[in-house]
Amino acid sequence: MKKLTLLTIFAALLMISSAAVAQTTASGTLTVTATVNGTISLVFNSDPSGVALSGTGTNAATLAFGTVQAFGGALTAGVTRVAGATSFTVSSPVDVFVDKANVASANYTLKAQLNAADAVNTWSVGGVPVTNAAAATITATGAYTSNVPETVALTIPFSTASGTNISNAINFTATAN
Amino acid sequence: MLKTYISIMRNATLAATLLWGGSALAQTTATGVINGTLINKDGISLIFNTDPAGVNLGAAGTSAASANFGAVSAFGPLSGGVTRPSVTAANFTVRTIFDVQVVQGGLTSTTYTLTANLAAAAPTGLSYKVDAVTLTTVAQTVQTNATYNVNVPHNLDLTVLRAAPGAGGPAVGTLITTTINFTATAN
Repeated sequence: MKKLTLLTIFAALLMISSAAVAQTTASGTLTVTATVNGTISLVFNSDPSGVALSGTGTNAATLAFGTVQAFGGALTAGVTRVAGATSFTVSSPVDVFVDKANVASANYTLKAQLNAADAVNTWSVGGVPVTNAAAATITATGAYTSNVPETVALTIPFSTASGTNISNAINFTATAN
Repeated sequence: MLKTYISIMRNATLAATLLWGGSALAQTTATGVINGTLINKDGISLIFNTDPAGVNLGAAGTSAASANFGAVSAFGPLSGGVTRPSVTAANFTVRTIFDVQVVQGGLTSTTYTLTANLAAAAPTGLSYKVDAVTLTTVAQTVQTNATYNVNVPHNLDLTVLRAAPGAGGPAVGTLITTTINFTATAN
């Protein structure tokens, strides 16, 4: 009888113990998939020696030369002028910053092209003439992750009427080598 | 003898007619009792749901769902429901949101604890976070005192090293799959 009592108590203790340890749980699995692609990006930054860009740090910036004339007068800060026999050129350095991720490329090729044809004025980037006809190679060995200054120059004939507004866009494309 | 035979046949015919009629009119019935025993077991369940701000989960509403970030990159376009909260010199992070719903029955528990772990080591160049917890193969607590019966949104962050493949970065252009195990425990 005594043994039976002890056994009963022992069994009861075991049951209490297991009830105290047991936890109510639920589980689930979430399968996560992704495909990583290598990419590069291009942004324009204001060059310390050039015109302060609007939209700096983006890939759609604006370089405003302001009011320019062949001789005399005040030029916008950062604008450099050179007058020739029949035309004058205004220019400003613009920093091009190309970044990369998940690509093994060591450098990039930068090309530029005028968005719209300009039969009157002459444009250049980094000393390379730029037209609407085809993209011109500005550099074939651009360095990543650094501000690379490229001088944007606009040559205007003396024959241009005073007060003429000149506006165009230059499309830049960087391609990983 | 003949009379006796005829009498027997008459009686037999009468008896057959009565039997036939009786079987046509009688109703065959049977009765029985089924003693059913219902054992009310307590428990909780966990399912994943698509969050309105996240990607559409595969097999949403089940405990075995999938979240596809699609093509991810440091600078390129992302799928709907995927954001890119940060791009640093070393890595970039893409994020989506998913919902966890835990339902309980028969318990006095009012909240639960959610833990998560990677089923296997993270692929090269990638790391995963649920909310603020960077996942490993060891279960870690994501949330304590979570509420039952509601969709609880959680951020799922995928951080990708920007290094090139072979230089510490992840494989590119191939689908990378990782499984995250979640466990909800009633408090």
